[in-house]
Amino acid sequence: MPPRRIWLSIVFAVGFALSAWADEPAPAAGANPADLKKILKSTADHGKFKELEGPFASGPDVTKRCLECHTEAAKQVHRTKHWTWEFLNPESKQRLGKKNVINNFCISVPSNYGFCVTCHVGYGWKDANFDFTSETNVDCLVCHDTTGSYKKIPGRAGHPAYEEMEVPPGSGKKIKPVDLVKVAQNIGKTSRDTCGACHFFGGGGDGIKHGDMDSSLAAPDKALDVHMDATGNDFSCGTCHQTSAHDVPGSRYQPTAADRDGAHIRGKADKTNPATCQSCHGATPHKEEARLDSHARKIACQTCHIPSIARGGVPTKTSWDWSTAGQKGPDGKPLIKKDAKGHVIYDAKKGDFTLAENLVPEYMWFNGKVNYTLLGDKVSKSDGITRINWFEGSADDANSLIWPVKVFRGSQPYDPVNQTLVTPHTAGDDDTSYWKNFGWEKAIATGMASVGAPFSGKVDFVKTEMVWPVTHMVAPKDKSVRCIECHQQDGRLQHVGGIYIPGRDHVRLIDLIGFALAGLTLLGVLGHGALRYLSHRK
Amino acid sequence: MTTSKSLSALAALVLLGAAGAAHAEADWKRGRVYYRMVCTACHVEKGGSIAPSSKTIAEWTAYLAADKHAKGKDTVKFYVGKKYRDSVKASNKAAEKYADVAEQDLHDDLKAFLSKGAKDGESPASCN
Repeated sequence: MPPRRIWLSIVFAVGFALSAWADEPAPAAGANPADLKKILKSTADHGKFKELEGPFASGPDVTKRCLECHTEAAKQVHRTKHWTWEFLNPESKQRLGKKNVINNFCISVPSNYGFCVTCHVGYGWKDANFDFTSETNVDCLVCHDTTGSYKKIPGRAGHPAYEEMEVPPGSGKKIKPVDLVKVAQNIGKTSRDTCGACHFFGGGGDGIKHGDMDSSLAAPDKALDVHMDATGNDFSCGTCHQTSAHDVPGSRYQPTAADRDGAHIRGKADKTNPATCQSCHGATPHKEEARLDSHARKIACQTCHIPSIARGGVPTKTSWDWSTAGQKGPDGKPLIKKDAKGHVIYDAKKGDFTLAENLVPEYMWFNGKVNYTLLGDKVSKSDGITRINWFEGSADDANSLIWPVKVFRGSQPYDPVNQTLVTPHTAGDDDTSYWKNFGWEKAIATGMASVGAPFSGKVDFVKTEMVWPVTHMVAPKDKSVRCIECHQQDGRLQHVGGIYIPGRDHVRLIDLIGFALAGLTLLGVLGHGALRYLSHRK
Repeated sequence: MTTSKSLSALAALVLLGAAGAAHAEADWKRGRVYYRMVCTACHVEKGGSIAPSSKTIAEWTAYLAADKHAKGKDTVKFYVGKKYRDSVKASNKAAEKYADVAEQDLHDDLKAFLSKGAKDGESPASCN
């Protein structure tokens, strides 16, 4: 090769190599653009750790490796609700948490551990004997996976698939085994995908439970959520739920209804909830319309800024009637019905559902105190609707604001003799699980026995309601709730009592004085104008 | 090996190294945003969206390799290309955000997302 061509090829090659760096910010010494992203993301490239080269037979095997460096991580996780599924309300003294509460979706966790714990940050919780002190049973990967390939499989007590398997059995759907080495070598910060793997799918499916959280938030546009907008602010969940020692703030058992402390400041020891709107925006965020700040003294930010939920194309469930479960189709198989869009509205395993998109929330006073009807509490059909939970608050309470909520209505089994809600054994492949044998008596007997609760053997159904605060899917400000939507009769706040809302409420005397003043003002203006006109002519 | 051949080999290695580094690992999350906010946004207006889970990995791979969009009227690469992104970036924030991403990178990102979201992928994806 002639020397000139050699040098030309070297110059070209070097030039090309340099051009690859040209469109990035100043790289660290020795970094190319592809590596730069990784360098800026973390101080450690886990792909370079010999400890994570595997092979790994199971998730706990990976955890053992994680804990060799992150020696205190499991102990931190052990202290959180994500691990214990338990929360002792310091005020009401109610023992809450997923492990203890009853809801009107899939009803309850006990005796259904193998399935429910698909969303537990651990491995192996298959019955009430789970070892909550085990460090290697902490699942690091479920929160720190960045590959999107790590998925816990229902019915496997929190484990992913280690070999190819059919899920659910008999469905013909094959799940490939997870590549634990790949996942472990690519771990990183939590993301909308990792948090969403459970929180988007609460209640048994996408968007079912919350309405303000579903898979559309994995990559949302601005119209769906101004904070998470993937082409804009691109917040992860952790941007607001600022986590310390693995403890994620933002409890639904003890929410912050009214944050009067204002914005958090760097360097200042703030002990209040960092996930409130005010912790970033402060208490007076409306710079152009100060009048709106005065509204915020009585109205939660979410009331105006989340005009509706389930806006991303994923419907949320609005009701669930367990009393109709168990029907079979003409072919003798458990019946399933779908609506025109293909959404399931009847499932023999679960009963009838109603669904909604672009759901306008309901509104109520809320001071942050939530009470629950727990297993053992007396329930009577004659009471009408049993409140699974209820929010405290009133117009007279300085800590109360008007909040948007999703009220989920249902009908669920209860024991009419002992007058208690029940915890049925629904999921499982054994003879007593409801989804296998469609017999309530056997399913409830198993479930109640698992927690040592009495069961009379009789089953009836009671109407229930459950309230969920709405706080995600914050719309752009030009899509906020308009004044007239509340300041009118039959408006959004028509059922919120204890407060005078102009346009909605009328006091005849005040209206008379108002109209009189307006009329007199008009007369004055007209009279003044007429006099000036006449005096000008003279 | 002669000096000239050694230098040529070195040049080739630098070239390949740079090219390889620039396209090291596809970003499936960026591919997801582009698919949903550019591809799907347009498809919804013009005939309906296509869920990633409507095809298998093999079908998506073959589709991208064939590079025939709208039954061959134009190419997929055109809609991933900078020229197209420039043409819609005024009204499309994803196109604006990724306006300067190399075409091959974005194509690889898209492929990574479609493989992941395919019917037989790790995480079958809908249009949402």
